[in-house]
Amino acid sequence: MPYSEQFQDHIANPRNAGHLAGANAVAEETNPVCGDRLRLGLHISDGRIEAARFLAYGCPATLACGSALAELLEGMAVEEAMKLTRREIIDALGGLPTRKQHAAALAIETLHAAIDKLHGGR
Amino acid sequence: MRKVYLDHSATTPVDPRVVEAMLPYFTEKFGNASSVHQMGQEARAGVDRARRQIAAFIGARANEIVFTSGGTEANNLAILGVGEAAQSHGRHIIISAIEHPSVRASAEHLQKNGWELTSLPVYESGIVRVEDVRAALRPDTVLISIMMANNEIGTIQLVAEIGALVHAERERGHRHLWLHTDAVQAAGRIPLDVESLGCDLLSLSAHKIYAPKGTGALFVRRGMRLFPQQHGGHQERERRGGTEAVANIVAFGTAAELAQKELTERNDHTRRLRNRFEKQLSERVDDFVFNGDRERRLPHLSNISFRFIEGEGLLIHLDMQGVAVSTGSACSSGTIEPSPIIRALGRDDELARGSIRFSFGKDNSEEDVDYVLEVTTRAIESLRKLSPLSQTSAALV
Repeated sequence: MPYSEQFQDHIANPRNAGHLAGANAVAEETNPVCGDRLRLGLHISDGRIEAARFLAYGCPATLACGSALAELLEGMAVEEAMKLTRREIIDALGGLPTRKQHAAALAIETLHAAIDKLHGGR
Repeated sequence: MRKVYLDHSATTPVDPRVVEAMLPYFTEKFGNASSVHQMGQEARAGVDRARRQIAAFIGARANEIVFTSGGTEANNLAILGVGEAAQSHGRHIIISAIEHPSVRASAEHLQKNGWELTSLPVYESGIVRVEDVRAALRPDTVLISIMMANNEIGTIQLVAEIGALVHAERERGHRHLWLHTDAVQAAGRIPLDVESLGCDLLSLSAHKIYAPKGTGALFVRRGMRLFPQQHGGHQERERRGGTEAVANIVAFGTAAELAQKELTERNDHTRRLRNRFEKQLSERVDDFVFNGDRERRLPHLSNISFRFIEGEGLLIHLDMQGVAVSTGSACSSGTIEPSPIIRALGRDDELARGSIRFSFGKDNSEEDVDYVLEVTTRAIESLRKLSPLSQTSAALV
């Protein structure tokens, strides 16, 4: 299997999966090319992400990136979250095959879209 | 961890009896089958025996069998070889929408060279209609290529009926019209007889019938003109140049003989396992559809689309539990298309992305089925909990 142990662990035990009651920043983004979807719900208070939950439909990389993203975000300052990169998601998963790295891009886009919503959208 | 292989349509393990038959041809009987000396003739005898075994397997004559490197080459040779030989009579070819890529791409290659290509629909059943074939026929049609059984959904095509149509057309004066069938998936799973099928060309692959990868065969009816696509050798009656893979060919022959002898036993076994799997899955899981006709299909295969989840996600869950299956959906092969076969059935993109092929083999057991049911049920529950498309996850506000 081409996937790392960390990756497999995120698939077997997804972190922070589900809905977030009382989320105040929510976004769902779709990869227009392959149709993968990622939904992210955040509860942000005083500039800090108190809680993060995800739902995902798509290839395993998208599921794993959603899980890694939601786990990384909890407790993180919004300012810091905005600086998260694809690379950090990929590293959290112990790497991703090149052809699957678009999943990390979808994760970052969804994060930015959610935070934008909090700011009233752009 | 338990390991269960349910991907026998992709490839099969080599039967130990087949390994035993081929081994002497690596070390003791290693001669070149084209050599005149005794060592060569020993190898030749092995190839000749295999040729008779393959011929008997499909009701053909030994001199109608051309060994190739596999099913893909057999399909290429059939379509390009006939295409090249017959183009003075016409340049129209008919295939189905669910042919293997080696047939489709060969036909498209002809198309690039000025041929016209008709691709027939298969409808929800996954079966080509004979009347559609009839309607597609033109005076310049020279080749029809319709697979015996589909590789992804296992539906069995009406090849004998199409064969009868071709014969009737010929009697009416359409002399240069031939029928090819790709029987790679059907071989060893349903009886094959080129006479009752009425086909002129038929492709086979060794590794789908418990022999090694790297060998296949094309049946070419006696008297047919076919131009070689490999140049620089007189082998295979000038139809396929290249030193014969003697050990592999011997293995293929042995495997064909075993497949023929054990056909009923193997099929009863895989059908029982497949039906048990489908029945129990239906009792445990909701929101899925079986793909392809439920009656006219290979006995070892079940293709299922699960709603709200994507095939590769399920595949990796099963893989992590030691279960090997396959998905026709895109991501697995590095492209981005939902399964074109499932799309051809008229299914939506979600179903075409959520399809999984479970293909059983002679060495699977009931315990294997029970284990796969357990891990599949768990994996589907887990993936649906994550899915924004699932009914089990209420709308997020």
